[in-house]
Amino acid sequence: MKFKLNIWRQKDAKSKGYFQRYDIDNISPDCSFLEMLDILNESLVDKFEHPVCFDNDCREGICGMCGLYINGQAHGPDSGVTTCQLHMRRFTDGQTITIEPWRAKPFPIIKDLVVDRSAFDKIIQEGGYISVTTGGVVDGNSIPISKEKADKAMDAASCIGCGACVAACKNASAMLFVSAKVSQFSLLPQGKIEAKTRVQKMVSKMNELGFGGCTNTYACQAECPKSISRENIARLNREFIIAKTTSEELF
Amino acid sequence: MKLIQISSITKKIALAAFGLFLLLFLPVHLGINLCILRDDGGLWYRAASHFMGTNYIVKVFEIVLMACVAFHIIIAIIITIENFFARPVRYKVRIKSKTSLGSRYMIWTGGIIACFLVLHFINFYFVKHGLIEGKYTASIEKVDAFFQENAIKMQNGELSDEKKNALIAQYQNISEVSSDKMDKERKNLINLTKQEVKKYCGEDFTEYEPDFYTMSIELFKNKTYSIIYLLVFIALGLHLSHAIKSLAQTLGLSHKTYNPFIVFVANFYAIVIPIGFAIIPLAIMF
Repeated sequence: MKFKLNIWRQKDAKSKGYFQRYDIDNISPDCSFLEMLDILNESLVDKFEHPVCFDNDCREGICGMCGLYINGQAHGPDSGVTTCQLHMRRFTDGQTITIEPWRAKPFPIIKDLVVDRSAFDKIIQEGGYISVTTGGVVDGNSIPISKEKADKAMDAASCIGCGACVAACKNASAMLFVSAKVSQFSLLPQGKIEAKTRVQKMVSKMNELGFGGCTNTYACQAECPKSISRENIARLNREFIIAKTTSEELF
Repeated sequence: MKLIQISSITKKIALAAFGLFLLLFLPVHLGINLCILRDDGGLWYRAASHFMGTNYIVKVFEIVLMACVAFHIIIAIIITIENFFARPVRYKVRIKSKTSLGSRYMIWTGGIIACFLVLHFINFYFVKHGLIEGKYTASIEKVDAFFQENAIKMQNGELSDEKKNALIAQYQNISEVSSDKMDKERKNLINLTKQEVKKYCGEDFTEYEPDFYTMSIELFKNKTYSIIYLLVFIALGLHLSHAIKSLAQTLGLSHKTYNPFIVFVANFYAIVIPIGFAIIPLAIMF
């Protein structure tokens, strides 16, 4: 297969970026999207040109490192997959593919298609954990948890923090990410103890970092490679209202 | 960019709460509007307009409603500006993610509705407050009482010559009033300009009201206005189709038991309310 690639090139965070056109040929339909970029980079290196920088790690859809905005969709046209799980057979021969980095104020570009997603880490640092005092190992099943709650918490915890929700949202909102991280704890007894402070701190940090607000378009849910449900956003809103109205420190 | 240092969720909750009040008012407005279709020469419609214009509880609600409209618009604009600046560099390829039409264009459909509100205010609300001249109606009983009062004053010699002549002229005018200036039951003078109010009711008569029935019929007979009206209600339908589901989501209401009810209410508002409003110009035009 052959493709016309329009790729965002940017030397560093301060430089002005531009779209560079590349023509690529002899690509197997079974080649993954990142492998296609590897082939492109090899050809660029052979010509003593700078390869296209992009984030990647596990290449099996669980690390959340890869993330490209491909032809108007975060992680490309397939649903429920990351960029590394996307294959070239999903495109037509000779198609023009425009590849852009995640674009959001809190995700500044480092180089080419690589963005700094440490904003997510900062949100997690605000409350995406439970405080546990060390001691003896607790017996398994000593805290009963219903199957339904455990499943919902597990679904929320499957968020890999790739940032596709922010990239796909017209407002660059991180509500799906924050809601998944809040839900995975608030659904479980261990997480309930700090639930009120957690939700307020994480939402406050999200706003401080410059993410947009949620307008409930649910583009985030549509593009999430782990199909995190918008139900979590409703839960986050609910938790936030309860926390704001019942915390000892009101407002 | 944060225009107001309040959490994005709090702003959304405020937007939803003000919107909720507007949602509650819509069926009331529709109910009154539908009275126009009754073949009674505007009897019910004028009675409803009179009630809405004079009842003190309604007057309080009117202030609350205006405040809700204003705050709903202001917060929506603030949220939109802040959200725009959350992505300073836009994508080259437009976002293709699957989202509902209503959710994508909320600010635009809201903008269309806000522009129509200005037009609506010019046509009706400003007339009510005397800022713009429209058509007026007056109860014949009240006109008669006012006339009698002046007639007694005239007998007692309390009126100046000028006022005496005016009163005699009014008697002449009102006895020659044409049938299109009277309602079906011949209880009210209708379709009066300000000059006609003075002519038939006297210079100092103040108990006249805007004749919203005549003004509405005249407006709906204008095809350009009616087409604008219909387009606005398509925009309203789109706006409402997202508004109610979004309101529930923002207030944290999501549960498999009552989600179908939320969807039902959203669809009811998005389809039935705009169709209800749209029937009126269609019935009058054709």
